[in-house]
Amino acid sequence: MATSWPKKRRLIGTKIQRLDGPVKATGKAKYSYDINRPGMLHAVLLRCPHAHAKIKSLDAADAEKMPGVKAIYAIKKAGEELYWAGEEILGLAADTEEHALDAVRAVKIEYEVLPHIVKEEDALKEDRKTVSPVGGKRDNVLAAKDAADDAFDKGMTDAAVKVEGSYGVPVVCHQCLESHGLVAEWGEDGGLTVWASTQAVWGTAVELARYFAGKYKIDLPAEKVKCITHYMGGGFGSKFGPDIQGLVAAELARTAKAPVKLMLDRASEIVAGGNRPSAYGKVRIGATKDGKITAYEVDCYGTPGVGVTDTVTFNALPYVYPIAYKRKHTRIRTNAAMQRAMRAPNHPQNCTLTEFILDDLAAKLGMDPLQLRLKNLPQNDAEKAKIAPHSLDALKNTIYTREIEIAAALSKWKEKWHPPGKTDGVVKHGIGMALHTWGGQASPQSNECTVTIHADGSVVARTSTQDLGTGQRTVTALVTAEILGLEPGQITLEFGESTFGASTGSGGSTTIPSQSPATLRAATAARDDLFAKVAPKLDAKPEDLIVGVEGKILDKAKNKPWTWKEICARLDKEQAKGTGFWNYGESIKPDNRDVSSSGVGGVQIAEVLVDTETGVVRCTRIVAVQDCGMVVNPLTCESQVAGGVIMGLNYALFEERIMDRATGRMVNPDMEFYKLGGIEDMPQIVVHLHDMPERGVIGVGEPPVISTHAAIGNAIFNAIGARVGQTPFTPERVLAALAAKGGKR
Amino acid sequence: MANVKELHVNGSHRVLNSDPERSLLSVLRDDLDLTGSKYGCGEGRCGACTVLLDGQAVRSCSTLVGSVGNKPIETIEGLAKDGKLHPLQEAFLEADALQCGYCTCGMIMSACSLLKRDPHPSREDIVRAMNGNICRCGVYPRILSAIERVTRARKGDGQ
Repeated sequence: MATSWPKKRRLIGTKIQRLDGPVKATGKAKYSYDINRPGMLHAVLLRCPHAHAKIKSLDAADAEKMPGVKAIYAIKKAGEELYWAGEEILGLAADTEEHALDAVRAVKIEYEVLPHIVKEEDALKEDRKTVSPVGGKRDNVLAAKDAADDAFDKGMTDAAVKVEGSYGVPVVCHQCLESHGLVAEWGEDGGLTVWASTQAVWGTAVELARYFAGKYKIDLPAEKVKCITHYMGGGFGSKFGPDIQGLVAAELARTAKAPVKLMLDRASEIVAGGNRPSAYGKVRIGATKDGKITAYEVDCYGTPGVGVTDTVTFNALPYVYPIAYKRKHTRIRTNAAMQRAMRAPNHPQNCTLTEFILDDLAAKLGMDPLQLRLKNLPQNDAEKAKIAPHSLDALKNTIYTREIEIAAALSKWKEKWHPPGKTDGVVKHGIGMALHTWGGQASPQSNECTVTIHADGSVVARTSTQDLGTGQRTVTALVTAEILGLEPGQITLEFGESTFGASTGSGGSTTIPSQSPATLRAATAARDDLFAKVAPKLDAKPEDLIVGVEGKILDKAKNKPWTWKEICARLDKEQAKGTGFWNYGESIKPDNRDVSSSGVGGVQIAEVLVDTETGVVRCTRIVAVQDCGMVVNPLTCESQVAGGVIMGLNYALFEERIMDRATGRMVNPDMEFYKLGGIEDMPQIVVHLHDMPERGVIGVGEPPVISTHAAIGNAIFNAIGARVGQTPFTPERVLAALAAKGGKR
Repeated sequence: MANVKELHVNGSHRVLNSDPERSLLSVLRDDLDLTGSKYGCGEGRCGACTVLLDGQAVRSCSTLVGSVGNKPIETIEGLAKDGKLHPLQEAFLEADALQCGYCTCGMIMSACSLLKRDPHPSREDIVRAMNGNICRCGVYPRILSAIERVTRARKGDGQ
């Protein structure tokens, strides 16, 4: 039977309070950090203080004799090289955290300090080859990628107006409020249980099983390794798999034959718990006099730390707008922790390298930047419409145009926009906008859900997937309740344990489009199983039983309503059960495109006040218009969008990892000097969900973060008529831009 | 300094035996299993560990347990009475003023302290009182709206 959402929806699209709200607001929810097991030990990691060094000698004999020490696990040994300040060397477990911290200080270690590079521009001046060998080479600067469109040269030659500029975003850190880590405990049956702060419950268990089975040649089937994540305090892309602390904690627990807790402290969380790569670029753009953009050129670089991945989405430059291009990207490997996926990986970078220059161009053309955008939007695609008529791919022009119109109306753009820098006074008002896009499809691997109906009328929805605070738990109950004619609160949720079936990591905004259709299928199958089992006892045909109104089940042949409890009681000693799965392959079957799909747009408009004497920027209002197909729970969906906007505001005004050239260490690994905005820094945020239920469910966790900093940057440009090209837009940078512009304020 | 043998937490006397130089947070969490107060930064900068000490919001991560004496401590676990949520807890749920929930207990305790000393704070008062509590998921506007729900309801009651 084809999978489809009910035509008439009772709960989907209505605001349902978060079901895990009460346990979270009363302190009863147990996060990984809150797990205390009998006889549990506390572990800490010894980290390298140098940005690049070789271990000359490592002696843990004294540490082993310190009070309370139960196990030591060496990650590195003498002779090995370390490539960033903070790299893990050794793990140690003791009876108390204080004993562990004392003991780790007693480890004797001698380093041969080696040259390092922690700043991108230093590597470009001189490649000192300070990183680990990849393919036998230690190059800091990897060979550039480049590509050009056939139409680029003509586009740039023919352009009547040309503008160029330099723009960039630095490395920023994930800063999860609950740090990375876990509790690991081996059972008497030889199995391993971890309570891990992870975005990938199932994947963490699978990876741990594979690692220990392989390393110790033990029989460790996946079902004997269990990962539990009932609640977790933020991941944003940085918490997939067991991670180094997962392996070390489980190793220590194995040696000590006791449970081990290993959670990172704040400084370690910032330095080692994940960072977003930088991107800096020179951009050139050409256009006709009436604002049709004819060519776009970018030459950019960025650092993934010791990693090797791109720091932009190379094939999507320029971002959103289809323009004849010439692009070049250089990856710079530095002696810093490897980048990790961070909320819409590489899209904020692409947005930076595209959206800023549009406003610079609009200023030169004497055009309203909103009109410039409308003029250069991608066209609708009739060919793509044949496959998926409602998709973003098919309707880019329609969807973006509509979203720009909505955002303009909500922000009063017409009244508030003025030519850049053309206002009087010391504190200047500005308004700016930016666009973004994201995928948000179901994940390639399957997600499963099981719904069980018991004779007492209780219903259990079970899945191993995780709720990072996105509201996935509530959505699972909501979908189950919709199909069974119940209320979300009547559904018991069994969530976030790897033994509850397969699920994929919450990355790429894939959870809701994977999990909701799996739940839809499971609940539908459970309902059908229920009707098949009870119909004979009701002297009815299964096909005559339907979910009616007010929680009643209707026998439509006899027009007889039954209560849910009456129906379920007929199960007697049986259960009714249904399982469902969903993945990307299912979602692209022709009949399934309205169940879940992919591709969203979004428009954000920001307003700022810039104090031209102090350089302080205050963001006063942000309008975020976002599509994500069918909105399942508008309450939690709006929270996601507002949350993305706030993270984007933090990128715009505060966040930057600052590395010290001399020592190679991060100088601001704390919450005082790596600032995150507080309630005082918040603008008014207006979220508008552009609901398009005909497109099915699409993920929304990532897209709202992408364009906020660019909209704020453009608002600053509008306020002061000078470009602050690099985030965060600190007073120092604002004053420098004003000084460079010169002239009268 | 002698070990701390007793604390007055959520209206009960709790017996323990702790080095006085440990943080109040670590004692609450590890000795008394009151894990609603969270470790966020360990330096008093994020507010996830906020509890009330003698009615005032303090950062328990940077409060030595030896400095507490017999002052009453209130943690999030003591806020709901007889199974009934505190109005602030209710308001946080209604406004969806939480996502991952890790900062939530600290937020609620900070707000609780504010409302104890000023039952009718202005928006500026709320912003000032809540500014030291950090939320990475980004629910600040809803936290403001949740606290305002409570103060509005109080005005309605003529309190």
